[in-house]
Amino acid sequence: MGLLRSYIVKTTQLLWEFIKQFKWRYIIGMIVLLITSFISSMIPKITGYVTDSINDRMPASVTNKYLLMLVAATVAVFVLRFTWRYFLVGSNRYLECYLREKLFAHMQTLPASFYDNNKTGDLIAYAINDIQAIRRVFGFGFTSILDGVVVNTISIMIMVRTISPMLTLMALAPAPIIVLVIYFLRKKIRERFGMVQKAFAEMSGKVQESISGIRVIKAFAQEEEEVEDFLKYNQVRVDTQMSLTRVSAVLGPVTQLTFGISTVLFIIYGGGLVAKGVISLGDYVAFSSYIMVIMGPIVSIGRIIDVWQRGIASIQRLDRIFCQSSEKDAENALATVSLFGLNRQVEDSQPVEKLRGHIVIRDLTFAYPGTDKIVLHDINLEIKEGETLGILGRTGSGKTTLVNLLLRLYEVEDGHIFIGGRDINHIPLKVLRENIGYVPQDNFLFSTTIKDNIQFFKPIYSDSQIEDAAKMAGIYDEIISFPEGFNTVVGERGVTLSGGQKQRISIARAIIKDPSILILDDSLSAVDTKTEQRILENLKNVLKGRTGIVISHRVSVVRYCDHIIFLDEGRIIERGTHEELMRLRGAYYNLYTSQIEQAEDNLLLQARG
Amino acid sequence: MEYRMDNEYVLRRPKKALFIRLLGYFKPYLPLLALNILFAFLINGAALIKPYIIKHVIDNYLALKIYAPDVFMRMGLLYLAVVLAGCALTYSQTYILTYIGQKIMYDMRKQLFTHIQNMSMKFFDRNSSGRILTRVTNDVEALNEIFSGVLVNSVKDIIMILGIIATMFALDASLALISMGSIPLIVLVTFIYRKAARKNFLRMKMLIGRINGFLAENISGMKLVRIFHREKEKLQEFQKLDKEYFDTSLREVILNSLGRPIIEVINTLIIAVMIWYASGRITGGHLEIGVLYAFITYIRQFFAPINEIAEFYTSIQSALISAERIFDVLDTRELSEDMKTGKHVERIRGEIEFKNVWFAYDDENWVLKDVSFKIEPGETVAFVGATGSGKSTIISLMARFYDIQKGKILIDGVDIREYNLKDLRRQIAVVMQDVFLFSGDIKSNIRLRNSSITDEDIMRAAKLVCADRFIESLPNKYDEEVKERGCTFSAGQRQLISFARAVAFDPAVFVLDEATANIDTETEMAIQQAMANISGGRTTIIIAHRLSTIRNADKIIVIDKGRIKEIGTHDELIKKGGLYRQLYEKQLVYQCIA
Ligand SMILES: Nc1ncnc2c1ncn2[C@@H]1O[C@H](COP(=O)(O)OP(=O)(O)OP(=O)(O)O)[C@@H](O)[C@H]1O
Ligand SMILES: Nc1ncnc2c1ncn2[C@@H]1O[C@H](COP(=O)(O)OP(=O)(O)OP(=O)(O)O)[C@@H](O)[C@H]1O
Ligand SMILES: [Mg+2]
Ligand SMILES: [Mg+2]
Repeated sequence: MGLLRSYIVKTTQLLWEFIKQFKWRYIIGMIVLLITSFISSMIPKITGYVTDSINDRMPASVTNKYLLMLVAATVAVFVLRFTWRYFLVGSNRYLECYLREKLFAHMQTLPASFYDNNKTGDLIAYAINDIQAIRRVFGFGFTSILDGVVVNTISIMIMVRTISPMLTLMALAPAPIIVLVIYFLRKKIRERFGMVQKAFAEMSGKVQESISGIRVIKAFAQEEEEVEDFLKYNQVRVDTQMSLTRVSAVLGPVTQLTFGISTVLFIIYGGGLVAKGVISLGDYVAFSSYIMVIMGPIVSIGRIIDVWQRGIASIQRLDRIFCQSSEKDAENALATVSLFGLNRQVEDSQPVEKLRGHIVIRDLTFAYPGTDKIVLHDINLEIKEGETLGILGRTGSGKTTLVNLLLRLYEVEDGHIFIGGRDINHIPLKVLRENIGYVPQDNFLFSTTIKDNIQFFKPIYSDSQIEDAAKMAGIYDEIISFPEGFNTVVGERGVTLSGGQKQRISIARAIIKDPSILILDDSLSAVDTKTEQRILENLKNVLKGRTGIVISHRVSVVRYCDHIIFLDEGRIIERGTHEELMRLRGAYYNLYTSQIEQAEDNLLLQARG
Repeated sequence: MEYRMDNEYVLRRPKKALFIRLLGYFKPYLPLLALNILFAFLINGAALIKPYIIKHVIDNYLALKIYAPDVFMRMGLLYLAVVLAGCALTYSQTYILTYIGQKIMYDMRKQLFTHIQNMSMKFFDRNSSGRILTRVTNDVEALNEIFSGVLVNSVKDIIMILGIIATMFALDASLALISMGSIPLIVLVTFIYRKAARKNFLRMKMLIGRINGFLAENISGMKLVRIFHREKEKLQEFQKLDKEYFDTSLREVILNSLGRPIIEVINTLIIAVMIWYASGRITGGHLEIGVLYAFITYIRQFFAPINEIAEFYTSIQSALISAERIFDVLDTRELSEDMKTGKHVERIRGEIEFKNVWFAYDDENWVLKDVSFKIEPGETVAFVGATGSGKSTIISLMARFYDIQKGKILIDGVDIREYNLKDLRRQIAVVMQDVFLFSGDIKSNIRLRNSSITDEDIMRAAKLVCADRFIESLPNKYDEEVKERGCTFSAGQRQLISFARAVAFDPAVFVLDEATANIDTETEMAIQQAMANISGGRTTIIIAHRLSTIRNADKIIVIDKGRIKEIGTHDELIKKGGLYRQLYEKQLVYQCIA
């Protein structure tokens, strides 16, 4: 247990905090639960009194008195049970939402590498299934234990004291065996249930991929093959379920059998006791009810253990996420989030500190976490405030990686990257990222309106600001030509737009932030030259007074940059202005000439023709 | 964020029709089903005999204080036998029912997935992947209850109720009448409570679906949210959703804590009334106490099937909603593609002709207007035009991803609609602008599931598109793992892999939609060289914004706002002095001079 606890420290801590916050609900709930259990364990005894009073031909008033007691007890149990369920079970619904929000908030602080290594589907499962499993521990698990222990203790006491110890012993005889049998069954069931879930998750993953990749599947006419592959997953789903059922279907009959055996012993032995006058007929009737009452919790012991173990497994899984360290100094999400709202209302009105766009990179070497391939070697670089850096380089040479590091998507050690004179690791993430406008290489749009995609879920911009940003990005005319204009809802990831349209909306999204550093990662690859030119013209204005980083494969895009670097296999092999690089007659020069050669050819051709 | 799911939780189709259609899936399993109903009768019989045995013991021996150990023993063993029989029957029943349910779900998933795979692109534009996913996974799962439990068990429950009533009347008519008086009350309360619970249940299901969808999109887009520092806004959106879920969830707790317990109170009341009434008769010697005992047991047993039936009603309701959603997909035949019929071709020559083609993605928003052109077999043709002018759309039409509204598309002189779609697409390999990689490894991404492509083919293709260089440097080379959407590769590397895929398929027509947009010039030129070598005799269609890449095309087609403006070779178009020349000069001036 000690070992266990060390694994689940973070989640338990969260749970404790929650329980402390809700302690009165829990305390009241538990007290009421105890009272309820006490009363409900008296009910069979009252039924016994009723039977006796009738069998012994007592006056009607006596019978009626017992009957009234019976009704009163039932009503009391009803009211009390509602009360404790409201307090205890209700709190657990709070707990579920509380954990889910904490989890989401925490996920928002996790580094990019976390998302490289975890499947979206699995992460969703944590937030829904695992958290529900934990809720069940607190709901069903705890209350059943409390209820069961109290009811059984009292019932057994009554049975032993007022009815017959021997009979009680006989009735309870099958219990230990049954607990054991059910425990082992449950264990098997859990294993097999795990397989069912895995099969289901894998099938979902399969379907998910074949829908996301449907364009590829169709383009290569792979539908039939996909179906065939899917059927394998489909079959596994069936097989795992059947193997689960083979075991789990035993559970019901085993329970029936338990009750059955107790009843049989009771008929044989108890019948004798009544006939010989050792116990009354009322006791006999009461006893048969007690068997039911007692066996209930005993049969559910297996289930409780199961819920517990699943809960613990879920807590451990969640803990793996909660223990993932957040990006350095990302706002401590676990502290700021309270149920259904943020604890500290961070004042929006207060503008974020402006960062000066002076970037220095010193001896930077980098490999992605979990790999040993060095992607960036010994990068040394300085971009003065207001200057623009152009980056060229082969596919896979590390351009995007360099930018990722400036955004602190991946961690670097102290002393390598400085922005505005400060080590990047000491700039609050919020300040850093609010000050950088980034146009990623692949354009992810959310399936919402174009407007919302540009302002990106923060409705602080006026319509004219949004329109201006769209104009700067050269997409305005097209947007207003859509029937719904800025309110056009785009498809998933933006599928209903053309490549260039998506790209330009991403540009607008970055520009509207009015950042001190603007980064464009191959962001004009999908637009035609005319549009490219127009955007570059606009960007010149936008970049005035800002620091810019422009990545491209086209010399035409970077040639006017104040500095250009040429990356190859993660090293800067050339650097300088366009003119300097041309004079160098190296990689840049070759690239330039190859891109321009044909153009010049044609100029000549054209001049002649 | 827009969710169009809410109204999907209200049925539009008649329940009966839905239900009958669902029943149709039972057809292959009717014998098993019949067997099961027989079992249901037997199980009920066993349940009814049990209290009767005890009644017999009480009335004939205990109440009279007759000590008869051998009778007790016999009765006990009889009881045990009944219990054992019940157990065996219950086990077989559960097993067979699960089997039927799973088989039917298998059949449905197969039907549904096959259908979805054959849907046209329009369907996927309109429905989010999360939604479609839910149809195949959770919605089918929701039907399971109907197939594996509800039907047989409701028959069982009805038999049970009838059995209890019959037994009661056989034992004592007047007590039976009193008990019957309570039935309407129990039924009423159960159904009122169940109705509220059902509404709540469906709402909860919808909210879980929404939370699911929210997480799916936001986890995929998490990096972007982080970079733009919108965590707080997104968290608040999530909390709003979570709060809604919580309210519903708490209501569930309240309903559950009221519903069942209140039935218990009613039960006790009835029992009290009955005892009160019976006590007079017992004292008068008109009734045996064992009968009273049996009645109490039966009344308690009575509630279970009624509650179960009410619960089934919820399951059915929820299942019908899922069923409707599934049938909605299955019934959208106008969007489904027919992969089977049509003219078969081994190899097309690669002549493509558009004749006055008009096309709109929806209604009348024409994206292509009166487009006509002809591509001869073996030609290399380039499409040029501003972004959003409709180039990718033309390509989608060639592979018949969409059907056109007006005009004709001819391939080798035959209307594109007459071809077998599978054959057609096998012949036309499109490298799409939006790259998609499957999780798996590099090999499986190039080969897809076409087993006729050998490892050598894969390597040759990779070499041709110059992807071999980076692949060889990976620790596992061609077996290197590809994570979700290929997120651990650079954009250009992803593009190379998807390019290699098209090459490996060895098509008659190559269609390259900005296939090298994210690739450096050096690699790009090497690829062009290699492509020129293999494309001998193959029709090749290129879309590129860099005019230098298309200058050598046999034919250049200039598109502007969905209309064809010019067609001709580079030289012709330059001479003509139209749009292309303008474009070209601008680009030249911009690239060289300035
Ligand atoms: N699936 C779709 N549903 C609805 N509209 C679409 C869809 N795909 C494209 N469009 C619209 O059709 C028009 C033409 O798009 P298309 O993708 O053909 O342009 P393109 O010439 O390829 O542009 P680019 O060079 O930017 O890739 C655009 O206005 C776009 O918004
Ligand atoms: N998340 C990641 N995890 C591990 N390796 C990665 C990851 N992202 C990129 N890489 C590897 O790092 C190298 C550099 O990738 P990067 O994306 O920086 O290239 P790039 O210069 O931007 O290329 P491109 O021009 O194709 O966009 C590549 O070899 C790539 O496979
Ligand atoms: Mg890149
Ligand atoms: Mg396009």
